[in-house]
Amino acid sequence: MSEKVYSTSELMSCVMARHLKNGEVAVMGAVSMIPMAACRMAQLTHAPNLYYITGGSGAVNPYLEPMVPSSCDDELLRSDAALALPDVILLEGHGKRLDVFFGGGLQIDKYGNCNLICIGDWEKPALRGPGTVGLPFLPRAGRVVIYTMSHNAKTLIEKVDFNSGPGFLDGPESWSTKAKDLPGKGPALVVTPLCVMDFDEETKVMRLKSLHPGVTLEQVVENTGFQLVIPDEIPVTQEPTSIELEYLRKVDSAGIVRNM
Amino acid sequence: MERTSKVISISEAIQRFVGDTCASLAIGGMHMHNNPMALIREVIRQQKKIKRLITSPSGSINADLLIGSGLVSEVLTSYVGLEHLGLAPNFRRGVEKKTINLLECDEPFLVYGLQAGAGGLPFIPYPAGLELTDIPRVNPELYRYTTDPYTGKQVMTAAPIKPEVALIHCQEADPFGNAIFKGSEFTDRQMIFAADTVILQVEKVVPNLAEKYGSTKVNVPGFLVSAVVEAPFGCHPTSSHGYYTYDEGHLKGYLKACKDTESYSEYFKQYVTGIAEENYSQQIGAEQLEKLRQGGGVK
Repeated sequence: MSEKVYSTSELMSCVMARHLKNGEVAVMGAVSMIPMAACRMAQLTHAPNLYYITGGSGAVNPYLEPMVPSSCDDELLRSDAALALPDVILLEGHGKRLDVFFGGGLQIDKYGNCNLICIGDWEKPALRGPGTVGLPFLPRAGRVVIYTMSHNAKTLIEKVDFNSGPGFLDGPESWSTKAKDLPGKGPALVVTPLCVMDFDEETKVMRLKSLHPGVTLEQVVENTGFQLVIPDEIPVTQEPTSIELEYLRKVDSAGIVRNM
Repeated sequence: MERTSKVISISEAIQRFVGDTCASLAIGGMHMHNNPMALIREVIRQQKKIKRLITSPSGSINADLLIGSGLVSEVLTSYVGLEHLGLAPNFRRGVEKKTINLLECDEPFLVYGLQAGAGGLPFIPYPAGLELTDIPRVNPELYRYTTDPYTGKQVMTAAPIKPEVALIHCQEADPFGNAIFKGSEFTDRQMIFAADTVILQVEKVVPNLAEKYGSTKVNVPGFLVSAVVEAPFGCHPTSSHGYYTYDEGHLKGYLKACKDTESYSEYFKQYVTGIAEENYSQQIGAEQLEKLRQGGGVK
């Protein structure tokens, strides 16, 4: 393997950017440096008409350069427009305004449900998490892109201890009964430091989509706490192109994403 | 007859407008931004007990410091944390060890609830799909269901939130309490509109505020505000949008201090109980504050 000229978090940012289509509207919450950089980079490359909203700040299309870590920073208000937070909640509730919602959790399960509340029983948590903020809106967002920096068997698990960001619930049956009239299409993509995953159309179980350069299938299987759907052909995640890297680093001149 | 100024000292504001046992206290700011820290530190100095603490959709050191002071019985929140810097230690400990009662909710509960409280609405119904989390199950008292009279379907509702007192930071106000947010408003305006009593902490009292910015920018009317407290750098260690950035080093130091009781009480003495709020800036140092003002804290 040749020496990498990019970091894993930069690769994750590129994967997310490629997933975003020109003309879409995306939203994200706290600790969203990777999605923020992905959105801005997508605008500068293939998706100039993408809109993105950085959660609590209410900023619409922050110019970002140079990017900052906090989702509510006033630096983000160097942007096309700025909304009051209750307006962002209107957009999240509407059902047709947002195409992509970035989410994550302390735990993420095989059906793409996320948990930001607690590990263990809610009454007697082994670990109390920060809380769920806006993740309950996931079933009303076009599609959900999930990401985590910890791809291990404790984070990617069979079933979340507490569902605070609904994915495909308990699988195809509960999804088709409970979510049939909802606007959201459910989780679409999962990006981790090891690989990219999507979801099997029939079983709604997370499926390996591509392995990052240098990562083995065994590594992913070992670090995943449930049985992933493994397709016959597993491509390698496309490395960042020189153009992608150039724009990403223009956005992230301080190396906040690069050094995550 | 002269118009009455609402500008008073910080100690008087907390003495007069926060009861010794406050039924519900809303605190403004979101993540490490616009937290009314000067007012919060003074609440701790005066040992006001808080039955229910209400945060914005993302509470930070504002809630964590109060919880750490032992004055809070229960907290209504959808998040308390320090964003990219880590979990909130006192909140985490309080919930894990059950020294505080947690009213778990999500972001829309706070936004809808404050809107309902502000407008006298009995409740606000949720859009469908948000009942799919486990939250309503663990907070049945506040998440209730009713029938949508238009469709006959069951809908989840958010209860109205009417804080007894709200502590809010605005960048500038005139002496009568008319005020502006120079950056994001978060849910601070909703808190002002929903609360019975509002204490405003500002960077600067500006006599002709509407003249300076135009009245359309001044969207907090003075009659909702009980007291205006001038507290330059009063959001430290959090940011004040348009004025200064947050103090990442101090916040990290706080997280470290929270690791054991001794260092925490040392922090408390140094920055809260051992000093008057008027001396807080000195404790941080003019040079450091100037650096934050130039946005130098994190960049």
